[in-house]
Amino acid sequence: MDLSVIAFWSFSTLAVLSAIGVVFFKNIIYSVLSLISTLIMVSGLFFTLGAELVGALQILIYAVAIVVFYVLVISTVPEYKGKAIDPKYMLLSLPVGFLLFLELAYVSVYGAWASNTGIFKPEVLNEIGNVKAVSTILFTKFLFPFEVASLILLVAMIGAIILGRKEQVMDEEEVK
Amino acid sequence: MELIGVILGLVVKSVIFVIGMFLLAAYLTLVERKFAGHIQQRPGPLHVGFHGLLQPIADALKVITKEDLVPDFVDKLLFYMASLLAFVPAIMILAVIPFGEKITLFGYELKPYITDLNVGLILALALGSISIYGVIFAGWASNSKYPMIGGLRKAAVLIGYEVALGFALVGPIMMAGSFSLREIVEAQQGFFGAFIWYQPIAFIVFLFAILAETGRTPFDVQEAEAELVSGYNTEYSGMKFGLFPLAEWYIATFVLSAIAVILFFGGWNGPHIFGPFSSYIWFLLKLGIVFMFLLWVHWTLPRYRVDQITELAWKVMLPLTFINIFLTAFIVVIKG
Repeated sequence: MDLSVIAFWSFSTLAVLSAIGVVFFKNIIYSVLSLISTLIMVSGLFFTLGAELVGALQILIYAVAIVVFYVLVISTVPEYKGKAIDPKYMLLSLPVGFLLFLELAYVSVYGAWASNTGIFKPEVLNEIGNVKAVSTILFTKFLFPFEVASLILLVAMIGAIILGRKEQVMDEEEVK
Repeated sequence: MELIGVILGLVVKSVIFVIGMFLLAAYLTLVERKFAGHIQQRPGPLHVGFHGLLQPIADALKVITKEDLVPDFVDKLLFYMASLLAFVPAIMILAVIPFGEKITLFGYELKPYITDLNVGLILALALGSISIYGVIFAGWASNSKYPMIGGLRKAAVLIGYEVALGFALVGPIMMAGSFSLREIVEAQQGFFGAFIWYQPIAFIVFLFAILAETGRTPFDVQEAEAELVSGYNTEYSGMKFGLFPLAEWYIATFVLSAIAVILFFGGWNGPHIFGPFSSYIWFLLKLGIVFMFLLWVHWTLPRYRVDQITELAWKVMLPLTFINIFLTAFIVVIKG
C-alpha cells in the first residue's frame, strides 16, 4: 500500500469523525475544538493530494484566523451555559439542514463521477513549484473571478466598519 | 520495504529533533535566568553545580515530582489537553526549519531538516499560531476568572499581530521569490546580501510580532502577574504548568528566532572558517544573538496596556507593513 493512500484514508476518517463531533457534542467548546480538528484534517487531505499551498493556507486562514474569532466569542460563555441545549429552534433547523444536505449530496455525487481535469501537470509542478503555478493561473486565467472575490471582501469590510461605528448622534442626545 | 525504511528514517530524525529541542529548552531556561540575573545586577542560579549548571535538571525533577493538583471545578479533558495544545504545535514547527547545509559524513548524506516544503514558511506561521488555542482553552477550561481574562487577552493580542506578522513576511518573500526557507537563505549571499539591509521595516514589525506571539514582556498581558495572578496558567501545577513556559518562552521563541535569522540575517551563510560544520555554527551563533536580544528586551522593558497593544498592532504595525510591501514591489520591479 502506498504511503499517500494510507495518509488519505486516515485523514479523511479523522475528518469525518471530527465533523460528526461538531454536530453531536453538547458542549460548544468541544464542538469548536472538533471544528478545528476537522479543518486541520482537511488541510492534511490537501497535502496528500499535492496541493501544498492550499493545505498550508487552510491551516493558517481557516483553522487559526477564522476559528479564533469563534473561540473568542464562545469562550466568553460560562461553562454551565455552554452545556445547555435549547431545542426550540429544532423545527426551524430541520428543513434548512435538509436543504444543506441535498446540496452536499449533489456535490459529492457529482464529484464522484467527474474526472479530475483541474490538477496541474507534474512537469509544471516540478519546474516552477506549487505556489507559482497557483498564482500564475490566478492572475491570468481567473483574474476576473479573483478580483470579484476581493470586491466582495471589500464590501463586507465596509459593512463591518459601519456596523461597528459609534453613533455620534445618540451621544449628543444623551448629553442634552 | 522501502516505505518502512522511509518512515523509520523520518521517525528517527524527528525523535532526534524533539529530544534535542527538549534538552536545549531545558538549558535555555538556565541561559534566561543567568542573563536576567546579570541584567538586574544579581548572580542568578549559583548553587546547583558549577555556577548553576545543573539547575535545569533540578528544576525538571522538581516540576515532574510535584503534586499535580487538578481543581474540582475545571473541565478535566480540556484542562489536560490545553497544555499539550500549546506544546505540540510549537515543537512541530521544527519539521520545516533547516539548520544548515547538507553535509556528507562517513559516506552518508545528512540533511539538517526534516522536510523542505516549498510552502515551509506559511506552514511555520500556521503551526506557530495554532498554539494559541492552548492558551485560550487553558483559560476557559480552568473555569476561573483570572485565567479566563488571560486567555481572552492573548487571543486579542494575537489576532492583531498575526496579521502584521503575515504581511511583514511578504517583503523578504518577494525579494527571494520563494516560500521555501532553504531558497530564501540561498537568495542572501554575502554580508550585504542579507535582507536586513533591504527590509528594516519588515524586521522591526517581525520583532514586535515575535514578542507578542511568544508573550514576552512588553506584550505579556496574558500573564501580567501584577494584575492576573499568573494569567491563563493560574490553576495549573506540576509538569502541566511546566509545559506552558517551555512551549511559549523557550521553544516558540527559539523557533521564531530561527525564522528571523533565516529571513533577515542570511541563515547559515558566512565565511567557511569552521571547517565542515561552519554552516551550523554560523546559524546557531546568529540564532543565539537574536534570542539574547529578545531576552534583553524582555528583562528591561515595562509592560504595555492591552488597548495600547492592539492599537499599536492595527494602527502602526499593519500600515507599516503595507508601506514596506509597496516599496519592495517597486524596487523588485525596477531591478527586474
